[in-house]
Amino acid sequence: MTTRHLIKTALTALKAHKSRSFLTILGIVIGITAIILVMSIGQGAQDLILSQIQGLGSRTIVVIPGREPSGPSDVAQIFSDSLKEKDLALISRKENVPNAEKIMPIVFGGESSAYGNETYRATVLGASADVFDVFDIYPAGGVPFSESDVRGRQAYAVIGSKVKDELFGGSEAIGERIKIKEKNFRVVGVLPKKGQVSFFNFDEIVLVPYPLSQDSLFGIKYFHRFIISADAEKNIARVVEDLQATLRNSHGITDPKKDDFFVQTQEDLAARIGIITNILTLLLVSVAAISLIVGGIGIMNIMLVAVTERTREIGLRKALGAANRDILQQFLLEAVILTCVGGILGILTGALLAFGVSLILSQALGLSWTFSFPISGALIGFLVSGIIGLAFGIYPARKASQKNPIDALRYE
Amino acid sequence: MKLIEVKNLEKVYQSGESKTVALDGVSFLVDKGEFIAIMGPSGSGKSTLLQLLGFLDRQTGGSYKFDGKSIEEYSEPELARIRNEKIGFVFQAFNLLARSSVYENVRLPLFYSNVPETAWDSKIKSAIDAVGISHRIVHEPGELSGGEKQRVAIARSFVLDPEMILADEPTGNLDSKNGEMIIKLLDELNRKTGRTIILITHEESLAKYARRLIRMKDGKIESDIRI
Repeated sequence: MTTRHLIKTALTALKAHKSRSFLTILGIVIGITAIILVMSIGQGAQDLILSQIQGLGSRTIVVIPGREPSGPSDVAQIFSDSLKEKDLALISRKENVPNAEKIMPIVFGGESSAYGNETYRATVLGASADVFDVFDIYPAGGVPFSESDVRGRQAYAVIGSKVKDELFGGSEAIGERIKIKEKNFRVVGVLPKKGQVSFFNFDEIVLVPYPLSQDSLFGIKYFHRFIISADAEKNIARVVEDLQATLRNSHGITDPKKDDFFVQTQEDLAARIGIITNILTLLLVSVAAISLIVGGIGIMNIMLVAVTERTREIGLRKALGAANRDILQQFLLEAVILTCVGGILGILTGALLAFGVSLILSQALGLSWTFSFPISGALIGFLVSGIIGLAFGIYPARKASQKNPIDALRYE
Repeated sequence: MKLIEVKNLEKVYQSGESKTVALDGVSFLVDKGEFIAIMGPSGSGKSTLLQLLGFLDRQTGGSYKFDGKSIEEYSEPELARIRNEKIGFVFQAFNLLARSSVYENVRLPLFYSNVPETAWDSKIKSAIDAVGISHRIVHEPGELSGGEKQRVAIARSFVLDPEMILADEPTGNLDSKNGEMIIKLLDELNRKTGRTIILITHEESLAKYARRLIRMKDGKIESDIRI
């Protein structure tokens, strides 16, 4: 039998039981829908996170205190006080880290800020004047604080757009004094709406000079991060090495395994986040895959019923010259067509739902979420549904092909 | 020219403990172009014999040679090919595909043949024409009378020009007028094209169209006469 006639015959048989065929493939449709949906959302989440990281610039290197966390038990290590003023001085020396263009220490924490009767819990970020260049954000109204303001321990604050709205509403904020932990700061600038950049939401932030915030607000003598930008992308590795050598020297560490700090490049971070979202996606996809197996069993069940129902037809076809192989192909093809149609429907439904989710996330929640259609996922989904048709169709098809024509013809 | 050589053919159906002997040592020869009627009471083994002759089943004893070759020498796909090219079947219950037109039913054997698709249409139409139901070509079996259905089945049986047509009580579900018309069709096929025809029937009046009559009883040949 030619392939064309095989397909035609299979389609005729499937069309004869339209609603049954549809119900049969529902399991496959749902399984593939779930896989496409999960993959699309996983990709969208990854894109979103990566785009936020990239807000920091690819030449940015972050030094984080504590040991690099290698598992959940290491969480405590994140809170460490190993980055000191002495370290800042050492890495700021040109001969130690020659390819560092900017070096910025930061301290941060959640603090209540108040103006009149209004209070708002903002993220207070103590930094040097480089903070505006590093995060590429400048006041829309007012001015940034300068390096001399920082060194002169001026109580200046640049506030995020949401902080401004919460504390001042529609009235002017520049020049007013806000109170953070009993200390008055003069608002010199207001940031434009910016959203998340790297680890900070700049709409909810209060920027203040770091030395002042260290002792007046947080009461600490160490830093939470050093943010360094390399002078060129090709020198990133070199800067990382220099930073490590300088800090190890400063902390008297000879064994890199005993480091009480770690250096993270944007590339590291992107790779790390990629791994996490990929693992999560894989996990969810494998859960969805279980429904494909259930769907496959449903197909096998219906095909077995069909084989019994059509025993007489099988006998007739054999009497007229169909070899076992012809019958096997016919029933196998019916199963594969069923699952492939299920796969296509699943891909379409999944894409549609994922698009709906992306609309909700971007419109209703205001995330900069982009819809992505997982082409590889669609291909794999289609392939897998075909394979399921083969795997679960082969048993009923073999049963059909091995029917004795006489018994088959006699069957009433 | 010998088409069929049957020697001591035996068929025993075994189901669990019980044994049923359907054929108990049957021997006969068939020349090309013969028209044979097989008669006998039910359970005499005539249908079993026809199924063995049509390669739908295998014997449990004795030998069967078709065209000089024994059934054991054929593989499963080869047997399918012989059923397709050399043998046409007509059944009592018509066995047409429902929800398929007359044309599609007659086309069915061509799917499994080596005939190039370009030649299909003329073969199908001339077969349908030969049994006189060209006006019903697009109809489905449900819309046809019993006689018409059996004519479709006959058209299907010879669409590939087989050596031999095996008809198992083709008139069993028909009234006498339609039954006679069907036998006349088979007779015509035998006379005009020299096809071998083996027919099982219960009716003496129809058996008289054949040139040879084999009577069977209890799995054995009771008489084998030329008429």
